[in-house]
Amino acid sequence: MSPRSFGAAVVGLSLIALAWPGTRADTVPSTALPLPPVAGPDAPGLPPLPERSPRNASYTIEARLEPDTRTLEGSLVLEWRNTSDQALSTFPFHLYWNAFRNTLSTTARGDSRRWAAHEEQDERLFGWIDVHSVRRLHEGGAEEDLTPSLRHLHPDGNQDDRTVMEVSSESPVAPGETVRFGIEWTSRIPYGTVGRAGWVHDYHFIAQWFPKIGVFWNGEWNCHPFYAVTEFFSDYGVYDVRLTVPRGFVVGATGRREEKTANADGTETHHYVQEDVHDFAWTTSRRFLERVATFDELGYPPVAIRLLVQPEHEQHSERYIEATKIALRTYGTWSAPYPYAQITVVDPAWGSSSGGMEYPTLFTGGTSVLAPPVLQSPESVTIHEAGHQFWYGLVGNNEFEEAWLDEGINTYMTAKALNHALGPRGVAQRYFGGGHRQGRKTGWPAIAPEVWVMRGSDRVPGLRHDGEKDVMARPGWRYRDRKSYGTNSYGKPALTLQTLEALLGEETMIRVLRTFARRYRFAHPTTEDFIEVVAEVTGEDWRWFFEETFFSSGLCDYAVKVETRRLAPPGGWFEGPDGELSPAPPAASNDDAGAGEWASRVTVIRKGAVRMPVELRIDLADGSSIDELWDGRERWMRFEYTGQRVVMAHVDPLGKLAFDVDRANNQWIASRGPARRAATKWAARWMFWLQNLLELQMVVG
Amino acid sequence: MLEALRRGFTGLGRNWGLVVVAFSVNIALALLVALPLASQLERDLDHTGVSASMMYGFDHDWWTHWSEDQEGYTRSLAPDVFGTGFAARNVDLLLRGFVPGRVFREAGKEAHAALLLARRPRGLDPLLLGLGVLYLVVQTFLTGGLLGVFRAPQGGWTLRGLIHGSGFYFGRLIRVGLLGLGLVGIVFAANVPFARWVDELAREAVSEETALALLLGRHFLLLLAILLVHMVASFARVIVVQQERQSAALAFVSSLGFCSRNLAASAGQYGAVLLLALVLFGAWASIDARLLVVGWKSQLVAFALFQVFLLSRIGLRLALLASQLELHRAQQGRR
Repeated sequence: MSPRSFGAAVVGLSLIALAWPGTRADTVPSTALPLPPVAGPDAPGLPPLPERSPRNASYTIEARLEPDTRTLEGSLVLEWRNTSDQALSTFPFHLYWNAFRNTLSTTARGDSRRWAAHEEQDERLFGWIDVHSVRRLHEGGAEEDLTPSLRHLHPDGNQDDRTVMEVSSESPVAPGETVRFGIEWTSRIPYGTVGRAGWVHDYHFIAQWFPKIGVFWNGEWNCHPFYAVTEFFSDYGVYDVRLTVPRGFVVGATGRREEKTANADGTETHHYVQEDVHDFAWTTSRRFLERVATFDELGYPPVAIRLLVQPEHEQHSERYIEATKIALRTYGTWSAPYPYAQITVVDPAWGSSSGGMEYPTLFTGGTSVLAPPVLQSPESVTIHEAGHQFWYGLVGNNEFEEAWLDEGINTYMTAKALNHALGPRGVAQRYFGGGHRQGRKTGWPAIAPEVWVMRGSDRVPGLRHDGEKDVMARPGWRYRDRKSYGTNSYGKPALTLQTLEALLGEETMIRVLRTFARRYRFAHPTTEDFIEVVAEVTGEDWRWFFEETFFSSGLCDYAVKVETRRLAPPGGWFEGPDGELSPAPPAASNDDAGAGEWASRVTVIRKGAVRMPVELRIDLADGSSIDELWDGRERWMRFEYTGQRVVMAHVDPLGKLAFDVDRANNQWIASRGPARRAATKWAARWMFWLQNLLELQMVVG
Repeated sequence: MLEALRRGFTGLGRNWGLVVVAFSVNIALALLVALPLASQLERDLDHTGVSASMMYGFDHDWWTHWSEDQEGYTRSLAPDVFGTGFAARNVDLLLRGFVPGRVFREAGKEAHAALLLARRPRGLDPLLLGLGVLYLVVQTFLTGGLLGVFRAPQGGWTLRGLIHGSGFYFGRLIRVGLLGLGLVGIVFAANVPFARWVDELAREAVSEETALALLLGRHFLLLLAILLVHMVASFARVIVVQQERQSAALAFVSSLGFCSRNLAASAGQYGAVLLLALVLFGAWASIDARLLVVGWKSQLVAFALFQVFLLSRIGLRLALLASQLELHRAQQGRR
């Protein structure tokens, strides 16, 4: 072939391809149902929305940041009300930052992402909180010095851990009485590349930073050490905080800024207040760019959105803001509207590990310079962390003991919100980033065409690998390892709730979530409370479902097997019309060609331990369909059909069992054509990659 | 430089069949493993509902489970090789030392556990590595014959003559290749502390932009260094054939001298060919992005486009080789 002919062939082929009628879609539209109207505070059939929290743990804090020495000087007054029926004279406090004090803390000894691997450690990673004094402040100005009584508690047996301190008072605090504590401390801020709190350059993210009283719950103090994987638990109150930082630093914090005061020493004091929250976090940096927007839609209370974004991510500001609105809109209608007047979104600095975390009315996102919209970043982390305002912020479960109650519900709802607003996510691999953990978050994204991750399916591999390690509902520090914690706190509960939604129906599920969110707003619910709400709303006992899922380490896997054969005429001797025995005609051959009656045997098999009712759809050769139901409790069930041949059998055709770990064995089809075409299609693509790889050898040869 | 390029492309045009020969090796080796993969996929998808979703798209859910069960080269079937991702993946494999035969890979660096859930790009199976080495050896074998054809002013060639010429120069060209590999090895070794230093700078950078520039920059520098070594090795091969040199080492030294004296022209040729390659890549990518491949007809069109791309790519490589010979001949004539 001459070059001219070759060139003509290339042009011709290109024209054919360009004119080809089929065009690949760049996105897959969402198939989610439209949002129902948001339920107002007094919506009928739902619990009333509480207007305020118990406010039994209110903090007035003053803190001064010294960026040059990476230290924090703080003092607080805690007003704590004894809401129990016991008089109490000992009071435990969390000192979370002592988890970073040395390599002997419970966190450092655990299997966690919150502590650097040994070869990554440098001196800057260590931080601590050192309490100088604890005083009980009585009426009339008298004080009781509780400092001599200060001791550290080690509920987990690790005598070297300093993340829980306890003080004692000579006079007990009676039920209903309010006590005031004055505490002064100094902190060393850890380098922020590992833990959530810390600094990188002039970016400071300050979280879990002050001595925080435990929760007196179910008749005893609940104040766990900071384990490797667990999160937090505290009571609601009013936070009134004054933060002094060098002039020129932009500050973002929980709540609304009341005022900013310039000081004579070149610093500024930022005053923030927020009612009815259970924590306070803040951040400061010179590099933040500030963007503001308002979420103001019919039926929802207006919310001022404040975004603090890194300059190199400024082009993603609109995406951050829009994702926050998606969360406020969807979560607000699926549970209950966000009640606070403002929300702060923080784009973390490069190198910081503070990204992807929630705090009351403030959360951190995370994105990359190169962030194609199809990958839904920053959208997915923004919606998830904004979603935590509802699950963790407003419904304050014990994250130590029942992490799934916020992470699992939130992960379920994040996937639902993303699917509703944006449809499925694309898939990409990043290249040419760095060799370290941080570097792998950047780099050039190569997007895989035609590849979509459908709602919830990204969690199934984790379930397959780690789902059988532990029963799902257990305290966070009791999972076998970090991966089990992750799967059982995030993926498995999310898929379980997605399955529950399919079984109950969307409308009923929303009623369940709304009831749970409203009844337990500003409270500390448990798993049992959630199960009771399901029973209450549905009017049925759904405990069997939770026994199979929450309280089990089993996996769900249903499969279908089909055998078909052409029916042979009967053989042997039979009575004729005259009553005399005569031989039957010989049997016909069993080949697949030709007309005639068929016998089909469809076997549905339960391969996993989890037992769920399943639907089965059968398609026959004449175009008709049969729907069957099975309670899924035995190991298998057989369905037999004669007449038309079965051409398709599909267990769980609507995909209700989101946690089925192997959906490939759910459907059998008689036709072999699709398999061959699919095989050649993708083998050809793979071969193209290989051919290019082979040719690449010549670059070094 | 431009004149040499023109002559090189013209010479290739006169002997277009050489591209087909080189391409035949490429497609034959690829089919050796692609056909079994297709058979396995067909077996694994047979009678499943997933086969339909795989026909119309790519069922990521099915693939994650299927991949977990794979051992060997079939694990390399992954979304990251589809679309334009194949180019990024291959360049990444090159810069991580997997090509050829994993000889430049730091020992112990590659985890053999399933990396499906990890963010780090995967490595390469030993069978595919071996196939790459075989391809390199065969193409090196052919290079001598190709250069012999390009060298002849009258043009024209026969398969027998090509094989004879290839065999005649094979030993020397293999030695040139080994010298080139040795030089690339030095580049990789020097890159290790450099990459660590740049990665540390990137980690400590104030902004992601700076970090990204540093990280992309160090990868680019490594690629540039590899291409420079390739240039020297390629001219060494030209010198071996054109001047009938017996010593590969001396030819390499002469090539070093030639490239440094004619750096602009030598590098300019590379630049021009790389530009053409980018245009080719862009044209293919824009067509491929529009093409919905489902049935046999669309699969045939897609397959044909793949092979046209490969043919053109190999053609560019041979055109570069021919141009280098012309440039060397012209510069020697001037001297």
